[in-house]
Amino acid sequence: MLILALLLMSVTVALAEPMSDIRLAPGDSRQGYERADYVTDSLSIPARQGISANLLANAQSSHLGLPTLSSYEQEPPDAAVIEIGRKLFFDRRLSGNKTMSCAMCHIPEQGFTSNELKRPIGFEGRGLKRNAPTLLNVVFNRRLFWDARESTLAQQVWSPLLAVNEMNNPSVGSVVDQLRKDTQYDKMFEQAFGESANMLNIGQALAQYQQSLLAADSRFDRWHFGGNRTSLNQLEQKGFEVFTGKGSCSSCHHISDQHALFTDHQLHNTGVGVEDSMRQTPDTIEVQLAPGVLVEVDQKLVSVVGEVKENDLGRYEITLNPKDRWKYRTPGLRNVALTAPYMHNGEFLSLDEVIQFYNKGGVSNKMLSPLIRPLDLTIEEQTALRAFLGSLTGSNVKDLVSDAFAAPVGDVSQ
Amino acid sequence: MSKLSSLLIKFVALSLIMVGAAAHADETCMSPYMAKIVGQEDFVYVWTLGEEGLGDEQDKLVTIDVNPISPNYGEVVNTLSVGGRNEAHHSGFSDDRRFLWAGGLDTNKIFIFDVHSDPAKPTLHKVIDDFVAKSGVVGPHTFYALAGRMMITGLSNNKDHGGRTAMVEYSNQGNYIVTHWHPTDEDLRGAEKSGKYADGYGYDVRALPRRNAMFTSSFTGWTNYMMDFGTMLADPEAMKRFGNTAVLWDLHTRKPKKVFDMPGAPLEIRCAWDPNHNYCFTTTALTSQIWLMYEDADGEWQAEAVADIGDPSKIPLPVDISITSDDKGLWVQTFMDGKTRYFDISDPFKPKQVYEKEIGAQVNMISQSWDGKRAYFTSSLLANWDKKAEQDEQFFKAYTWDGDKLNLEFTVDFKAKKLGSAHQMRFGAYGLYGLKRPYEAKNLVASGE
Repeated sequence: MLILALLLMSVTVALAEPMSDIRLAPGDSRQGYERADYVTDSLSIPARQGISANLLANAQSSHLGLPTLSSYEQEPPDAAVIEIGRKLFFDRRLSGNKTMSCAMCHIPEQGFTSNELKRPIGFEGRGLKRNAPTLLNVVFNRRLFWDARESTLAQQVWSPLLAVNEMNNPSVGSVVDQLRKDTQYDKMFEQAFGESANMLNIGQALAQYQQSLLAADSRFDRWHFGGNRTSLNQLEQKGFEVFTGKGSCSSCHHISDQHALFTDHQLHNTGVGVEDSMRQTPDTIEVQLAPGVLVEVDQKLVSVVGEVKENDLGRYEITLNPKDRWKYRTPGLRNVALTAPYMHNGEFLSLDEVIQFYNKGGVSNKMLSPLIRPLDLTIEEQTALRAFLGSLTGSNVKDLVSDAFAAPVGDVSQ
Repeated sequence: MSKLSSLLIKFVALSLIMVGAAAHADETCMSPYMAKIVGQEDFVYVWTLGEEGLGDEQDKLVTIDVNPISPNYGEVVNTLSVGGRNEAHHSGFSDDRRFLWAGGLDTNKIFIFDVHSDPAKPTLHKVIDDFVAKSGVVGPHTFYALAGRMMITGLSNNKDHGGRTAMVEYSNQGNYIVTHWHPTDEDLRGAEKSGKYADGYGYDVRALPRRNAMFTSSFTGWTNYMMDFGTMLADPEAMKRFGNTAVLWDLHTRKPKKVFDMPGAPLEIRCAWDPNHNYCFTTTALTSQIWLMYEDADGEWQAEAVADIGDPSKIPLPVDISITSDDKGLWVQTFMDGKTRYFDISDPFKPKQVYEKEIGAQVNMISQSWDGKRAYFTSSLLANWDKKAEQDEQFFKAYTWDGDKLNLEFTVDFKAKKLGSAHQMRFGAYGLYGLKRPYEAKNLVASGE
């Protein structure tokens, strides 16, 4: 009897766990792993539980700092459609070998991207050449992919679904058939669309789930747009000055009078891509083997077990215009503190590295954007800039992550 | 009859273990709850990865005849394709040794082969494809027989596909029973965090039933084990995602008791045989050390690094290991230089390398016979970690060990035969199931005996 009582108590405690505990970072924290005194701070997988959010309300309501969705969206949001998209997004059966879901590269607690590697892997571990972008506020991107090759989310979803190095579904029809055969999905599609799954409504459903991932009302928004003078501390306010002034960051990462998406929707050559394609391979690379254990490894050893890295020429691959070589889309900076590693290839592991890169004027090349030049920022200014970037995290991100934790993960069941 | 008596095959029942006749297998590295082959094995089953562009491109169980008296000695006598590239990896027999469970680290399918009806021609008995749906665990790795149960270690999970994972317990019939999560800082599950780490990672499992002890080690999650190896080495974030722990569990209650710090991805665990040898070895893949987990004079379990393997700064990458049945030797394969190294472990606290031999451009697994006179090697580590181009040799090599050196008896070239990438080996024998070798039965008839 006593044992039963204790068991009941422990269950009650577990259920009472507040959602505010959600960590906006990998549950398997590797903070400080470079050092020998690293200690683990790992979360329990069974305790990774969440509460469903009203995603329709999130998509429909105004968010301080964001433009209204109506000027961007393809279709008015619908709760039943969002629900299908959410289910599809976490469904590992939606791939050629029933193993990969969208959420495996866009991991909710990792800023809806992947913090744990530079560039994600896809079907059977095949490598992708570009960093996974965050899906928070993705609806505001006028063009999609780092090379801006796609125009709408509803169309975009078919690229990863069919790419041989991503989810590798054999055809559109195979995905459609799979969902039509699944009684649960079939019912949901019929109820939401009045028809069975097809190429268009699958795209719409996944697009609508992504459209609902609006995350703003950050401390910056409350300070800049909401008039709360204490929402940013002195250092962050100084960082904003650097961002819009000496650092010229806002010349690409735009802030307008009523809202801020922190992007100009343009593509630029900052030199990151040139460096990647043209630099000489170093003789050795530094490899970390354990906390505080680093060794220099001969590049030949790495090559023996490594595939030849796929080249990446950026926007040029779409236009075939030599002037577009190594141009990439300006990403928005909302929630940027959650989305490491950075740049189109995940080259920089921290915002400090990004700031250092721009401070020295990127990488010189013939097609370098004229907006990229040495900034001559002091250490203090760089620190302030870093602090400012940390203030861009939306106040509702934890709710969206909690909702994602509550979403069902689709797996093969007998 | 002399030939039959030379089979030297016997069953070791649980009751024998209880009175102290400890027995594992690899033949020397498997579960003590299982019958073992102490004489000449008839077959080696090689769980083989399908390779794009090679043969039928799919995973298969390859059966090789390894009995020198067989007319098919040295030949592939059967292949059984299972469909798909599942990242075929490890396998293990059920406690009655009638079935071989083999896992796919990518698709998470578990293939259960019938190896007793005809040991020369295993058949596919059952496929478990809802392992993840049932357990939340990704990457079924080690299949370790307990009494009536199969303990399956995982490498990852279906939430972030990182390294936090669990052991998953199944019945011999293939029914899911329970998931045992590895201790994390948030939920140590009653275990003592003895050092700085409690990462929740998993890899291998072994048990010492007479000490009521079970041990697990830790590797890395789906993202890393599926990734191109060279790309991963050049990705500092990915290189942070390796296990640095081993865990002591209470075997009977399945509760974790103590988390040991063991930096650099400890992989295979091999426990000593002698009833008075209360210790197990493991090796760390990245930091290239031999570690000893041992019970001290106060009955407390400890872990200690006891030797380096090659030059750790060159990342030789120790992978599979195998202990000899007399507890005196430990074979250690180093993947990067393709070598096997034999350590004298007579003093378990002072392992000393006494022999090495290059097996091929790359080498991973070893299986040795109970008497230590035969050792078999295979080449593949993981589909995307194996060496590229001409260095991607894929083979099964059979050696004899004369106590001083390894002598190559035969090779099966898995590329030339278009089979795939050769991974884990398990032994089969007619005598385990009361069956006579067909060629011996024929001889008996022919000679009128």
